[in-house]
Amino acid sequence: MALQKEHYKAFEAIVGAKNISEDPVDLDAWAWRSGQAAMAQDFKPRFEAILLPASTEEVQAIVRLCNKFGVQFKASSTGWGVYCDAGGPGCIKLDLRRMNRIIEIDEDNMYAVVEPYVIHAQLQAELMKRGLTCNVNGAGGNTSALPLAAHEGIGHMSGTCSIGERNQLAAEWVTPEGEIVRTGSLGALGEWFCGDGPGPSVRGIIRGNVMPLGGLGVYTRAAVKIYHWPGPPTMEVKGYSPDYVMQNPGNFLLRYLSWPDEEGRAAGIQELGESEIAFGTMGFNPNMVAASVATNNEQELVLAEEYSKEIVGPGICVVIAGNSPRDFAYKKAVLEQVIKETRATSLKAVEEGDVQTSFIWRFIRVTASIRETMRGTGVFGGEVFGTDSYLVQSNFIQHSRTDKKDLIDRGLVYPDNTDPFITSLEQGQFAHSEVLLRFTPAPDVAAAAMEYVGKANANAVNGHYGLPHHLFNDFQHDFFGPHTSNYTHWLREIKKSFDPNGVSEASNHITAKD
Amino acid sequence: MALEDHQSDMESCCRCSACKFIPLEKITGYEHANVCPSISRHNFHSYSGGGRMGFGLGLVRGRVNYTPRTAEVVYDCNLCGACDVSCKYAMEFDVLEPLYAIREECVRNGQTVPVWDGLVKNMTKGGPTLLNPTGTRGQWAKDLEVKDYTRDKSQVIYHAGCLASYDEQSGQVAKAAVSLLSKAGLEVGIAKDKELCCGGRAYEMGYRDEAVAQAELNVARFKESGATELVTGCAHCYQYFKVLYPKLGLEHGLKVSHITEYLADLVAEGKLKPTKPVDMTLTYHDPCHLGRLSEPWIDWKGVQRERHMRVYDPPRVLRRGTYGVYEPPRDLLKAIPGVKLVEMDRVKEYAWCCGAGGGVRESNREFAAWTAGERMAEAESTGAEALVTACPHCVQTLAGNGSPLKVYDVVEILDKAI
Repeated sequence: MALQKEHYKAFEAIVGAKNISEDPVDLDAWAWRSGQAAMAQDFKPRFEAILLPASTEEVQAIVRLCNKFGVQFKASSTGWGVYCDAGGPGCIKLDLRRMNRIIEIDEDNMYAVVEPYVIHAQLQAELMKRGLTCNVNGAGGNTSALPLAAHEGIGHMSGTCSIGERNQLAAEWVTPEGEIVRTGSLGALGEWFCGDGPGPSVRGIIRGNVMPLGGLGVYTRAAVKIYHWPGPPTMEVKGYSPDYVMQNPGNFLLRYLSWPDEEGRAAGIQELGESEIAFGTMGFNPNMVAASVATNNEQELVLAEEYSKEIVGPGICVVIAGNSPRDFAYKKAVLEQVIKETRATSLKAVEEGDVQTSFIWRFIRVTASIRETMRGTGVFGGEVFGTDSYLVQSNFIQHSRTDKKDLIDRGLVYPDNTDPFITSLEQGQFAHSEVLLRFTPAPDVAAAAMEYVGKANANAVNGHYGLPHHLFNDFQHDFFGPHTSNYTHWLREIKKSFDPNGVSEASNHITAKD
Repeated sequence: MALEDHQSDMESCCRCSACKFIPLEKITGYEHANVCPSISRHNFHSYSGGGRMGFGLGLVRGRVNYTPRTAEVVYDCNLCGACDVSCKYAMEFDVLEPLYAIREECVRNGQTVPVWDGLVKNMTKGGPTLLNPTGTRGQWAKDLEVKDYTRDKSQVIYHAGCLASYDEQSGQVAKAAVSLLSKAGLEVGIAKDKELCCGGRAYEMGYRDEAVAQAELNVARFKESGATELVTGCAHCYQYFKVLYPKLGLEHGLKVSHITEYLADLVAEGKLKPTKPVDMTLTYHDPCHLGRLSEPWIDWKGVQRERHMRVYDPPRVLRRGTYGVYEPPRDLLKAIPGVKLVEMDRVKEYAWCCGAGGGVRESNREFAAWTAGERMAEAESTGAEALVTACPHCVQTLAGNGSPLKVYDVVEILDKAI
């Protein structure tokens, strides 16, 4: 279903002829699947046209026309994720690449205002020059720094730099009907410092539990909280890609700690949280550590085997960053005490010189997530679980581990030591977990991956573990709704109220069906 | 390799957009984070390495037909290889090789650029792959007392390249290069007016067959000469002789050096002594063909041995830009008294292209000029008085884009010092 000529012309009048295309060469480029949650269908439905708006006003004008013409739209920033795809025909793409400015960095009030196509690596680099930093999504420094882009905004530094739902301050939202809503202090005072007032607080509506994933209008700007950075303005990195070696500026340390069982890991994370010494904590399995260190798959296999001999059970990466030599010495001493008290084992291979320092920078800039997830075959999937108390998450992944092992035994997914990851947030009380599957998306494997997600969902319901974050469609929402206070009723009401014409394409959110 | 042979690599694109930025570890601020001129200028995903993978798969699967826009998207790419380097920081597949294959596929299907058709036709008749060439081949060497290796045996061949042969300023650089080699006591041979285009630019434009035929002419001539070493002043020719010829299955048996490598060795050995001060603050631009694209070709054929990991029998080693020629030009500049070298944000394996690559300077001058303008602005931000580089194509493309900075070849600066 191609766009009608007059519709195309009307959109063209908004963005200009150079910023709209319905040529197959452009459509197929976007139709190729994201590697995330890839299934046997590799080409997704084509968008009817790709548009490159440059401003909120252009986005608004496009959205209004979509309502007038009955054309669906879906916006995305860097576009990495299954939810950036079209669910079916009749949808145009708003690629927000031209909206790529850092609007403001307010050092005194510790926030930055960004447009959707500023990536985390850019924002973090600018902030470091000012003695500041930001949370970087676990997906990587290559993803949008907008705290409303895609997912929950959980990352390696979420222990000290929190997560998207807390980091989001005032925001600018083009609703599915084309109204521009300025939330929080922006709506009342024209300032960005607060997401909830004075002015309209619609945080719950625009975020939900898992974000609307492109299904509830377009977020065009937002303020994001920023944090203290204990390191230098830039990290000195020597060597040539991919063999980069960071020069340790001092006062930084990384350890990979493992414990014989989940109880041990929980105790370790609790102590680290209570002591507030960790700049970052991230749950990695041995293969993720190997993937991060290795510059290719061959090396990854070798390192994974080597590390597995030394790693005694569930583990985490810990980064310590001192504000001064004295602060660093204190934190290091506390870390050693935690290791001793909880009987943790530290992986010697990543304690060594360049391996350690380079790992620190990859960890902070979050440059290795692509290696850890996608390098295997170009795709990955699994269960992106929820955010809850540490022990709830810990119990959930123990169930899911068994189910993943079954797939491994059947040769359907890569045997990466079966260990799901869990990352503690805000100093340990809170956590997020995921179970990654690396696989070749052949039909049998894709079917098994879906079976696995079904089992994980059943575990979540039967174990009362709450809602996962991978609720990417009606089916999954409707599965969980009856078990969780029928939230789907309210989510659907929100969708209906704000998108009465159903133009904000919601195949990865919730549709307004009755 | 045909486009369908790259299917597995293209299918491995996960759409992460890493190909659009310099390696993430190297980003030091908001500015200069982009690495791909093509998508930076045109903004559609299709203009990125990853986007082109999607289109390439569309071609292989028969999903897309050629349109007038196809050629724009395919050919408005400098083939600079920056996407390939940034992708391979993390991933395990070739990006640039499928891009060459897409062009070949387009040419095979008659989707050509008329101006390139003319250039390639000219090459097959013994002419240069240059637009509106002035002068005559070999004019740069008319005052030089130097051997003609097509008649007299010479151990070392100096290949000037089309641009130096026909462009007066570039010719002066070639002349200086040969003079410096002579000062170091080296006897080199040149082909004078009989030098042939290396054919590499035709390959990049998608004309594989014509490029192979041209390469075969050169290989035959090199073999006949009895030489053991080949030195080029042009980064493009260097990459083609060193990397492309083996890739095309052609063995010339010569050790290939870029003039900066050769001169750096001569300076290190004390055979050339830069003693005259050149009091300038300079910034160095890495030519793509001398830098990330110049790693030796690795011929590989194998099979994936593990279902869920891209590991192969035999192991597949990818070219990642790690071993390009980055230090010799810098070593030369550092050896010159008075020169202060300041670096741009995007250097070495993640340098921003000058704009000339992939035939873009001939097919879309506006895009080439824009790309060059971006680079010159970056150079200006370093506080340098001039930009220096090591390729005549870069010099010609970067100069004259409204920047107050002068543009030199490294050889010119070294020549001032000796």
